[in-house]
Order: sequence, then C-alpha cells, then structure tokens
Amino acid sequence: MTEPTQKNIAAAKPKKEWVGFSVRRVATIGENTFTEAVRQKVYNILIVFALVVIASASFFSEFTFSEQLKFIKDFCLGALSVFGTLIAIVGTAQLLPNEVENRTIYTILAKPVRRFEFLLGKYMGSVLLIFVSLVMMSIMFSAALAFKEHRLVSDASRTMGNTSRVEEKQELQQQIQQIRSEVLDPNLVKAVLLIFAKLALLAAITLLISTVSTSMIFNVTVAFMVLIMGHLVGTAREMWSSNTWAKWLLALIPDLGSFNVADNIVLGNAIPWMHVGAVVLYGLVYTACTVAAAHFVFSDREI
Amino acid sequence: MDAIRTENLTKKYALGWRRGRLLALDKLNLHVHEGEVYGLLGPNGSGKSTTLKLILGLISMTSGEARVFDVPCEKVQSRLHVGFLPENPYFYKYLTGAETLEFYGRLCGMKGTHLNKRIDELLALVGLAHARDRRLAGYSKGMLQRIGLAQALIHDPKLLLLDEPTAGVDPIGSKDIRDLILRLKETGKTVLLSSHLLAQVQDVCDRIGVLNLGKMILEGRVDQLISDQRRVSITVQGLPETAREKVMETVRAAGGELVSIEHPQTTLEALFLEALNKDKRGAGEHD
Ligand SMILES: Nc1ncnc2c1ncn2[C@@H]1O[C@H](COP(=O)(O)OP(=O)(O)OP(=O)(O)O)[C@@H](O)[C@H]1O
Ligand SMILES: [Mg+2]
Repeated sequence: MTEPTQKNIAAAKPKKEWVGFSVRRVATIGENTFTEAVRQKVYNILIVFALVVIASASFFSEFTFSEQLKFIKDFCLGALSVFGTLIAIVGTAQLLPNEVENRTIYTILAKPVRRFEFLLGKYMGSVLLIFVSLVMMSIMFSAALAFKEHRLVSDASRTMGNTSRVEEKQELQQQIQQIRSEVLDPNLVKAVLLIFAKLALLAAITLLISTVSTSMIFNVTVAFMVLIMGHLVGTAREMWSSNTWAKWLLALIPDLGSFNVADNIVLGNAIPWMHVGAVVLYGLVYTACTVAAAHFVFSDREI
Repeated sequence: MDAIRTENLTKKYALGWRRGRLLALDKLNLHVHEGEVYGLLGPNGSGKSTTLKLILGLISMTSGEARVFDVPCEKVQSRLHVGFLPENPYFYKYLTGAETLEFYGRLCGMKGTHLNKRIDELLALVGLAHARDRRLAGYSKGMLQRIGLAQALIHDPKLLLLDEPTAGVDPIGSKDIRDLILRLKETGKTVLLSSHLLAQVQDVCDRIGVLNLGKMILEGRVDQLISDQRRVSITVQGLPETAREKVMETVRAAGGELVSIEHPQTTLEALFLEALNKDKRGAGEHD
C-alpha cells in the first residue's frame, strides 16, 4: 500500500509511481458521506422514532407487566427495523445519483483516487450512518424500557408496602426480579446486531442497484421489492424445494427473513450465539459479493 | 517529455438505444509542452470539456490514446500531478471552504500541519480567507470558481487542467485568475485551459488550439498568429471618402491587395471567427 505523500511525489520518477488501494482515502470519502447525511439533517427521522417509543411506553398500563414489556419490545424492535430500513435504502439510493448529478464525482475521481475506493467509501459512509442511527434508536429503546421498569417496579413496591401478608410480599419480590430480568434481555442486543447485519446487506444491494440506474425513485422501488422478496424467499424455498431451477434462482435472493428474531424474543425463546454468528456470517459473505458486483458494474460505467 | 500527449484521441458518446453515437472528438493530436500555457478554444459543444475529461480518465476514449507525463491516462498514477477545475464547478455545499480543501487534500494523501498550512495559504491566494468557515451553499458563482481553483492546486500539481476558469467571473475576478495562471507558469507549472472567449485568454496563453465539431482547425503560437507577416494594417483618422479611394488605387497600383478594413486589435478574434467560418462541416455529425 503506497500513500502518495508529498515527499514521494517529489522524489519518485513518474514511471515508478504506483497508487495502491488506500484505506485512508476510503475513510475520507466515508466520513464525508456521513457528514453530508448529518448536515442534511437525516437524523430528524429519529425524532419520529422517539415519538413511537414514547407512545409504546405510555399505553396499555392495564395489561400485566409481562405483556407490557413484550409490547414495548415488539413495537420498538419493529420500529427500529422499519426506520433503519428507510435510512438504509433511501440514504444509499441517492448517494451515487447525487454525485453524478452534481458532478462532484468528477472532482474526486480527478484526484489519484480509485473508483473502487470511491464506491467503498460511499458504502462505508452509509454503513456508518446506519450504525449510528441504530445506536441512537437503541438508546431511546433502552430508555423506554428503563422508564417502564421504573414504573412497574415502583408500582410493585408500593403494593408491597401496603400489604402485610408474607406470601404476597414474596410474590411481589419475585415479580420485581422477573421485571428486571425481562428488561435486561440479552436477546435484544442480538436482535439489534442482526438488524444491523441485515441493513448493511440491504444498503449494499441498494448500492448495486444505484450503479445501474441513476433514477432515485427507481432505485428505492427496486430496493423495496428486493426487501419484500427477501422476506418471502424463505417460504418460497420450502414450497419449490423439489424444482432445481427454482432452487438456484431463489438462492440468488438473500434470505432476509433469517435476520428477524423479534418473534422469538417476544415468545421468550433463547437465541443461541451460534445462530447469530451464522446469520451474521451469511450476511457478511452476501454483502461482500454484492459490493464486488457493484464494483464490477461501476468500474466500466460512463459517469 | 510532453506534459500531455494525445494520439488520434477519439470520443463517441452513446446517445441511447438505437440513436447511434455522437462523434464529439475526432482524432485529436494534442501536445502540451511542459511549462507552457495552452488554450483550448472553440464554440459551445466543440469538444473542449470532452478532451479534458478524457485526459483525466473520467470518461473512456473510443479510440486513440492519451498520456499525462508519459503515463497512460487510464491509470490512476497519471493523476498524481494533475489538478482539475471542472466547468461550472459544484462541490459539497454542506462543507465550509476550509473543509472542502481539507477533504480534497486528504484524498491527495496530505495531512496534519502540512495540510492545514496549505489550506490557509490557498484560501489567501484565491482571496477567500474571509469565507473560510462559511458553507459552500452560500458561496456565489465566482467564489465557487475560486474554491475550485484552490482545490485543484491543493497538492501543488505540476499540471493544471482548467475548464473555463473565467466563465461567470466578473472582470476583476477574471483578471485575478489570469494573473494567477501567469504566476503559476512562472513557477514552472503547465496549464491547459479551455474557453470560448479568445480575448479572455489570449494574453495568458503561449499557444492556442481551436476546436470545432471535435476537430482541431487551427493551432499555433499566439504571437505568431497575431503577427501575420504578409498583412499590414494602416490606421488612419479623418480620411475623406475621396482620399480613401486614392489610397486603394495606390495599393492596387503597387501590386498589393486590399484584404479588409478592420480594427487592428481584433485580429486574433477575427482569425478565430474566420477559421470557424471556413469550417463548413454540418453540426452534430452522427455515425
Ligand atoms: N455525456 C454526454 N452524452 C452525450 N453527448 C455528450 C455528452 N457530453 C457531451 N456530449 C456532446 O459532445 C459534444 C462536445 O461536448 P463538450 O462538453 O465537450 O463541449 P464543450 O466544447 O466543452 O462546450 P461548452 O463550451 O459548451 O462547454 C457536444 O455536442 C455535446 O452535446
Ligand atoms: Mg465545456
């Protein structure tokens, strides 16, 4: 890896110069992409998420504590996935078309920057955007859970103070413990991690689409279609498992349903780390192939 | 070694399904020597920007070849010593002037205090020190042109490609830019610039080439093009109509030929227009 520093520009003979792949240039482009999203106020969408979270935590206090917590988890995980998907698809779909439309891409590629570095930088900026939004949404989600925990525990403690029966006190003590353990559910971290892997893959697919077409509407539409197919493909594979052609064709579509563990969480099933690892690995391999395909298309394209 | 060398450089743009291709540049042989300022002139759509983009490897050529300091322009290395100002430059409008230069500097492998010093230097050079922390969204056209120049100069390149550097800039700004180009030339830089206004660039260019419909139709040193030895212009004042007839007679009697009666300062401009008029090919040749 050679970085063209000022010194070796001056010292080296032109013929011997070589510009290799540079992580620093990718990081520079990625950071710029992220800065753009932040300064264009993409994160305003998180205000809407905050409202969803507040709503989920304030309703249904007539249900049992377990139901209330399940509701918050289900609702918030769903919202986290939906908002993350919006950010991943809409945020990525406009990256390349904007660069071409505004001709800013010329100013970058006129520097000693490889097209692959540019593409990867754009993608990494998008992934960073997704990561930061997921972290921020997770913090809001945790705050909602903590708030609910505080409410439920203080309710239980109050009831405990009003009663003198020993069994009921013990029961309430147990209930408080259960509330705490349900709130500190390690499965939630796994679920968010899997959502991140899914969104990174979705962003890569959107990037691939946007290397082919410069129409933002087209890109977003096709990306959502892939998203829907990706969620149906698991069922489709079971249905057509006997047909070899269909099997190969369906293998091309990523199984996005496998990233979804929200149902398990609501049912209280454990999610083994092995499963999480396998799905993340699947996502990584798929993502790498998609980015490689995007590079293949982009490297020959007229801009 | 020439700074830029193209051999039969040809570009045909695909116009879309079943519409054929547009010949935008036709077998261009352009040689820009190291240390000179070369002006690429021509009317709108003559292929000036296409030439610059091909040299930068931003678009792919249909045939021929182009080299920058002897490196084929398809290679990334060919851009190590090149600075580029696109036409109607447009940068990231959410970045400030200083951030813009930092971004492009980092892409060129610069960092730390060296880069920071260079940013201050360049902002002062192009007269934007007062706007360093303002976002580009609020820059005027002339200011964008200046930040574009600074961006092209960030890594102190040996060769500068400037696409219409004075377009949309007021007369004072345009003079500033021309002075800057002359100063760059003094420090040994090579400059290839494009323009459709000859008068704006004739006093900075050593050589000019005129493109029309993708073909070079006139090329030469500016001083030679101006002083065509066979022509003499006699400027007179207060000559009555009858006396003018006598002057013409004298010219004819001496075996001379009256070519035209013209304003002496516009010779080069006239030459430019004449060359364009002579070029009788139709516009928009397809193949
Ligand atoms: N991306 C493109 N697709 C199709 N045709 C193009 C494309 N870019 C340029 N052309 C055509 O190629 C020809 C040369 O264009 P070019 O931009 O090089 O002209 P120019 O000399 O820079 O003109 P101007 O002075 O207006 O900037 C024009 O006929 C133009 O319509
Ligand atoms: Mg042009």
